[in-house]
Amino acid sequence: MSLKQEQLPDLELSALTKLIDSASASGNPVDATTIQVLHNLQHQHLWTNLQIHNLAAPDTSNDFPPVRKLLSGIPPNRVYTHPDEQLYMLQKGIREDELRPERLFVIPTAQGQPWSLRRMAFAFDALNDVEVTDDVNELKGPEVDAEKSKVLDEYYEKRTEAIATQEWGSKRMLLAMVDKGMGGDGTVVYYVVQEGEVKPRQN
Amino acid sequence: MDFQPTLPIPISFISGRYLLFSIDFVTYLRREHNICGVLTGTLPQIPQQNVFLGLPLELMPEEARVLVDKGVACIVDEAKAHQGMQSLLEEDRRKYLRELESQGLHASRIFAERKGQKKAETLKKIAEKKAKGKAQAKPQSEESVNAATATSEPSAANDEPASVVDFFAGDTPTPSTSSKGTSTGTPAAQAFHVTPATSYPPLPDPTTSSELIVFRPDVPSSYPLFAHMHSRGYFLSPGLRFGCQYVAYPGDPLRFHSHFLVVSSEWDQEIDLMDIIIGGRLGTGVKKGFLLGGPRQAKTEDGSEIERTESVRTFSIEWAGM
Repeated sequence: MSLKQEQLPDLELSALTKLIDSASASGNPVDATTIQVLHNLQHQHLWTNLQIHNLAAPDTSNDFPPVRKLLSGIPPNRVYTHPDEQLYMLQKGIREDELRPERLFVIPTAQGQPWSLRRMAFAFDALNDVEVTDDVNELKGPEVDAEKSKVLDEYYEKRTEAIATQEWGSKRMLLAMVDKGMGGDGTVVYYVVQEGEVKPRQN
Repeated sequence: MDFQPTLPIPISFISGRYLLFSIDFVTYLRREHNICGVLTGTLPQIPQQNVFLGLPLELMPEEARVLVDKGVACIVDEAKAHQGMQSLLEEDRRKYLRELESQGLHASRIFAERKGQKKAETLKKIAEKKAKGKAQAKPQSEESVNAATATSEPSAANDEPASVVDFFAGDTPTPSTSSKGTSTGTPAAQAFHVTPATSYPPLPDPTTSSELIVFRPDVPSSYPLFAHMHSRGYFLSPGLRFGCQYVAYPGDPLRFHSHFLVVSSEWDQEIDLMDIIIGGRLGTGVKKGFLLGGPRQAKTEDGSEIERTESVRTFSIEWAGM
């Protein structure tokens, strides 16, 4: 009796591996991380209008590897609301889903990647120079009646003011970290990072 | 009303620790300069009683340094300052002891006065209660006209307590006379024993002698961040409980929950991203933010921390919940 060897099926690479292979021909690990986070944002968190922003190299060469890319996109729901802003919205009876969507920036990183305050500060400083091309139609809020839109206009005005005075926090970004350690199952975790001392949310 | 000390306040430097022994200084620093320190004193006989600790107050080197840099306090080498204790004149010693005794007498007098007042108040209350009880009982027993009872009630209330107080009058004279009576009539043996927490006097004020003052406490590299947060009005306490360097409160810790777990880093010091996640997740779990910060300027030889403090940048980190 002879055991017949089973015919192996034609095994394919995962969609993500293919994407990384095709999109980052350079083989640069930073590019691969960026693509992976982008993929996660688009398909797991359903962000739209995703963009990749290439940053200029830092002035000092002693920072290697520098932060080279930022991501940005529009999340389906608000990711962060400052506690004072939340209070204001409660007082005015504004719900989060009545607001127009907002573009949020993301720093893609991978577990084990060296990090420092200089890098964090570089990413935040770079935010000033990043150019965003937004489709106006995408940034429209849901339809509301005239009374509500007046309240919302007041809110947007107050918000612009509060951002200028840093009353409702200042610059903020998400720090995304890809799991590349044991197993490396491709989990991506997200943390809100804000410049300065911003009081915590009371969740 | 509030105690205003003559600045600078002497901070006792004893075997590497910064201590405060005067409750007046402790409350002043907490009230005016957002410095809480940690109470470390316990009972010598029962040191395991550590739920309520008392004087002395231990300051972190950072707290001591902030106060010195602001000109509010100076560091005194207590070992040196107390070398004068042996050469204290016998006459001075006696004078000091007499002073303590008179302080004890004064304290016991005040205590007796308070006690008398309290007693009188309690008696008065009891009397009023009794009078009320009687006044209420009266209309029930005698079915008199409503108007008549209404007028009789207040008068009864006035009469009754007077008679009760008279009854006890021999026992407890009014507070003012009682205090005088005890002070003159009782022997000095009743004076309280006063144990002063500080030793100036009898020793001369150490802040006047420049050789006793040690300048500038040595501080860890996280000092610029500490000074930065302190200048923003935060109260900072040691971060052991949350595994961070400092816990930052937006006001007095007795009134506010803390806002941040503070961790300092040098500008180019490598940070493990996992540490950011650990801090961010723990902070969010206890309704706080994880605050990472540090000075842009590297530590220099001359050790000037003021420029470093001005160059501090901070980042607040919370879990995004996605």
